Amino acid sequence: MTLNWDALDLAILGPACAAGLLVLATHVPLGKQVLARGIIFIDLAIAQIAGLGVILAQALGVDEHGIGVQFAAAAAALLGAGLLAWTDRRWPERQEPLIGTLFVLAATGGLLLLANNPQGGEHLKDLLVGQILWVNYAQLLPVLLLSLVLLALLWWRRRRLAGLWFYGLFALAITASVQLVGVYLVFASLIVPALATAGLRGRAGLAWAYAIGVLGYVGGLAASAVLDLPSGALIVWALAGFALLAQAAPGLRRATRA
Amino acid sequence: MKLLAIPVLLAAALAAVPAQAKLRVFACEPEWGSLMRELGGDKVDVDVATTALQDVHVVEAKPSLIAKVRAADLVACTGAGLEVGWLPQLLRQSGNAKVAAGPGSFMAAMQVKRLEVPTALDRANGDVHPEGNPHVQMDPRRILVIAKALGARLAQVDPANAATYQARTEDFSRRWLAAMVRWKARAAPLKGRKVVVHHISWPYLWDWLGMQQIGALEPKPGVPPTAGHLAGLVGITKSSGTLAIVHAAYMDPKASEWLSSRTGVPAVALPFTVGGDAQAKDLFGLFDSTLDKLLAQAK
Repeated sequence: MTLNWDALDLAILGPACAAGLLVLATHVPLGKQVLARGIIFIDLAIAQIAGLGVILAQALGVDEHGIGVQFAAAAAALLGAGLLAWTDRRWPERQEPLIGTLFVLAATGGLLLLANNPQGGEHLKDLLVGQILWVNYAQLLPVLLLSLVLLALLWWRRRRLAGLWFYGLFALAITASVQLVGVYLVFASLIVPALATAGLRGRAGLAWAYAIGVLGYVGGLAASAVLDLPSGALIVWALAGFALLAQAAPGLRRATRA
Repeated sequence: MKLLAIPVLLAAALAAVPAQAKLRVFACEPEWGSLMRELGGDKVDVDVATTALQDVHVVEAKPSLIAKVRAADLVACTGAGLEVGWLPQLLRQSGNAKVAAGPGSFMAAMQVKRLEVPTALDRANGDVHPEGNPHVQMDPRRILVIAKALGARLAQVDPANAATYQARTEDFSRRWLAAMVRWKARAAPLKGRKVVVHHISWPYLWDWLGMQQIGALEPKPGVPPTAGHLAGLVGITKSSGTLAIVHAAYMDPKASEWLSSRTGVPAVALPFTVGGDAQAKDLFGLFDSTLDKLLAQAK
């Protein structure tokens, strides 16, 4: 394998790196919540429901490139979040299988709707398999604003993040991030840093999780440039790699043993 | 005199560097990469974004792809919407204005008359391309038209080597016309024969060979077939004396084999582009292989 040092170019990797850091900003604290609640597949379900919203909007004649698609995706995701907040209250012990069922219903519901609106399929793919390398700075501005609002709300509700608050904020964060970086990276950004720091609470846990996330994105992107491999997939592996390495760090080990 | 000679030599050396540097060409698909090597020879440095064994509608984003487009002097793609899922993003990320539009951007399908141009755009018909069917590389007559246009384009973006491009284009055209006569003679037994396809990627091939497509496993691109459609297709395939069920080498043969097992009509994988099988090493091999595989069923 030839190493390709020329590809380490900030103009190519810069926007992708910024997108990754933005996604991490909201997903690391949300991931801790997701792990604590044991509902790790909720991001896949929410992303599929947002996709279903887009297909529905197009079937109803909403312009496929306009801002209308974003509203449709966010509205569908929020509706899904509302439904999940309700099932969480009603049957808390069955939340995980309910989320799984909602995921397959949304995914296959999309296929059934697409039988008559095949063009929507392309946009469903765009929505679910965003590619981190195709990101540009102009696209990041609205996500930056949304992330700031979400982080402020997360901080404000930090002691009482439950029910509709949690599911609603989560739905908005996922709808934006899946379009930027795709479902694999969203899943990894949520779960891997949270899992690696499960033994640590409070500020220290959050700091370690952010460090693992940043190292994973920056290391994975740089490695994908040098080794000429698909960026999204390699970042997932870099996140897992740094999460494992972090287990050797004294700060984390003491916490896990305790 | 010596003092003067140094800057003169330096200037000469500097001027010589760009003249020696090869024209950097980025091709979206292997068939255009291959054509570029035929027409450009050692004057061009060709990078190809995809291989024959992948679906060119989707491409995994790698940093090297952006770097290659950024360094390119000429981008040669199919166009007509084939690469709409990734080429616009790639061009935007590369920030290379030279190849985003104008002489540095060559769209092969737009050089020829396209088939299946819809009269009305209706979503009910699947993932249709408004510019018509983009898979023009399967018609040698269109390849010839595209080769001449591409040769002229190479001469336009790299005028220093215009004579070479012109000579190579003429040479290629001569060899290609001779091959077309040979192919036409060999293909006589295929005329009028009927085929069923997996995906509607082949209208240009059938148009050239005078063959008839009587059905498709995936009649609306991007939409899985319904049970009723498949039942009808089994009936049509059985009763029409169908020559073969055709799919591209990059496609999963499962659907074709399913239909083959129910109808007794053989499923055939055709290379579809350069590199699609061992024989399709260049454009000539692509058509040799395609004809061999179809003729093997006609015996």
